Amino acid sequence: MQQGDTYTNRFTVGSAAYEGFIVLFNDRNPLHTDEAFARSKGFKGVVMHGNILNGFVSYFVGECLPLKNVIILSQSIKYAMPVYLNDELEFHAEVTGYFESVNAYEFKFYFKNEEDKKVAKGELQIGLLI
Amino acid sequence: MGESIIDQVNKIFIDVLDNEDIKLTPGTGAKDIEEWDSLNHIQLIVAIEKHFKIRFNSSEMNGWKNVGEMCAAIDKRLKA
Repeated sequence: MQQGDTYTNRFTVGSAAYEGFIVLFNDRNPLHTDEAFARSKGFKGVVMHGNILNGFVSYFVGECLPLKNVIILSQSIKYAMPVYLNDELEFHAEVTGYFESVNAYEFKFYFKNEEDKKVAKGELQIGLLI
Repeated sequence: MGESIIDQVNKIFIDVLDNEDIKLTPGTGAKDIEEWDSLNHIQLIVAIEKHFKIRFNSSEMNGWKNVGEMCAAIDKRLKA
């Protein structure tokens, strides 16, 4: 991996991720579970938990990089738009820094929805386990 | 006159390790700061390299025994 390398992937926020997230973490806030409530707040329907996207980031680091000896050191994400059930997201990540001294990489990433709008963006720092 | 290297490094340590009580001296080593473990060390070095806009290599870093030697290496890089 080197600075400037880019990676793309596609993720669908399907019912398994949505319902699994609720079962695992018990976040049943009405924004995520009550259609009428979500619509009353101006959304098209129940809004997916933002941290589902962090799960996709975890998959990217753990399964999509050319190296397996990786550990996430830090991760930040900003949400710009809501994500709804069954939305298909395009994930894009770029290596923005490499620190040879400590075998660490930095990435910037974003998710776009089917309307080509960025729904979230963030930064990620990983280390290589020696 | 600008802030000394060790004072700048001190601020980075406080931020990365989230410990306002850190007061670095040239003799401070990893054993003196509880939060300075192997994972935080990576974040410290990355933050220092970004702050000073320098890059170290692993071999020179492995020779550091304390903060004083780290700051000397930073100074050397800044003057290079």
